[in-house]
Amino acid sequence: MADKHKAAPMVDEVSEFEILEIAVRELAIEKGLFTQEDHNAWTDYMHTLSPVPAARLVAKAWLDPEYKKLAIEDGVKASLEVGIDWVKQMPTQFGTPSDYCNLRVMADTPTLKHVVVCTLCSCYPRPILGQSPEWYRTPNYRRRLVRWPRQVLSEFGLQIPDDVEVRVVDSNQKTRYIVMPERPEGTEGWTEDQLTEIVTRDCLIGVALPKPGKTANDPRPVRKALKPYGH
Amino acid sequence: MTSINPEKIELDEEMSKRDLDNSPIAVLEEIKKEGQGRAWQDLSKKWGVDNPDPPWKVTLEATCDVLSEVSCALSGVERRWEEDDLVEELYKDVPYPERQLLALAHTMIRRGLIDEEDLRKHMKVVDKRLHMV
Repeated sequence: MADKHKAAPMVDEVSEFEILEIAVRELAIEKGLFTQEDHNAWTDYMHTLSPVPAARLVAKAWLDPEYKKLAIEDGVKASLEVGIDWVKQMPTQFGTPSDYCNLRVMADTPTLKHVVVCTLCSCYPRPILGQSPEWYRTPNYRRRLVRWPRQVLSEFGLQIPDDVEVRVVDSNQKTRYIVMPERPEGTEGWTEDQLTEIVTRDCLIGVALPKPGKTANDPRPVRKALKPYGH
Repeated sequence: MTSINPEKIELDEEMSKRDLDNSPIAVLEEIKKEGQGRAWQDLSKKWGVDNPDPPWKVTLEATCDVLSEVSCALSGVERRWEEDDLVEELYKDVPYPERQLLALAHTMIRRGLIDEEDLRKHMKVVDKRLHMV
């Protein structure tokens, strides 16, 4: 009985980085750059973010052709049905320049595969997809994907046949994208919840394909740029 | 087909004119040195924790957002460009997200949003507070 209530392991030491994070934040508040209340509001918002709403959007679209049509035509409106309000949900109550209220859902077809990047920095549809992974932020991914998409996708383990067009969509301050991959074989008769589980973050970025039984992202390599900015 | 972001071209030119001071900052170099082997990837392994991100990652992200969206003191795009530059060289051996944090502190100091000596002093205060029993 006692074992059932055993506390989960915790990191029971304070690192220099933890101290630095607190110190930077408190100094910024002390200097009046923002208030504790502002920060609390954004922290609470951050805690709500995850890829699940985007996965559910895709699962719903797989099951409902009308919803799929809506998702493709108006991603922001379709987001409401999975609990995401791009306008009012954020602490600003009117969206933000970093999470601009224009979501585009890019539907794959048998002859077209989409993949998302942000060549500018690391713009990402956070309200519906959560925080971006480290590799998505790297200049290596950002620069190479637009030049050699098939090669980069193959490094993610995704081989795209020559007769399938690869379309790279570049996020920016005004528009964010998610990929709606094709529903995989072997999922006939599945419920929305079951389908949602196999639409991983990587499938929604476009670097992986959904597969029955696969519910987690693979570990991804993080590569440095060969020619760093300014060199 | 590739859709290239036209905004990037303008920003690329704008950013190339910027002269980011990416020279080392003493207090951050000390943290970098003392923090070797004590990043979240090390501590989580040592303590058997499987959370991929440190607990402070979410508050770090919130700090970045409020600086951009609330105070307009540091835009997200500029912060990310400077972070790209800093993590390619100065903080290249520091794991993520610790290097994101160091880059943010670096940018804030260089832009005069916080002062290096203030940071050093306040870290001592925070350190003492976190170790009070």
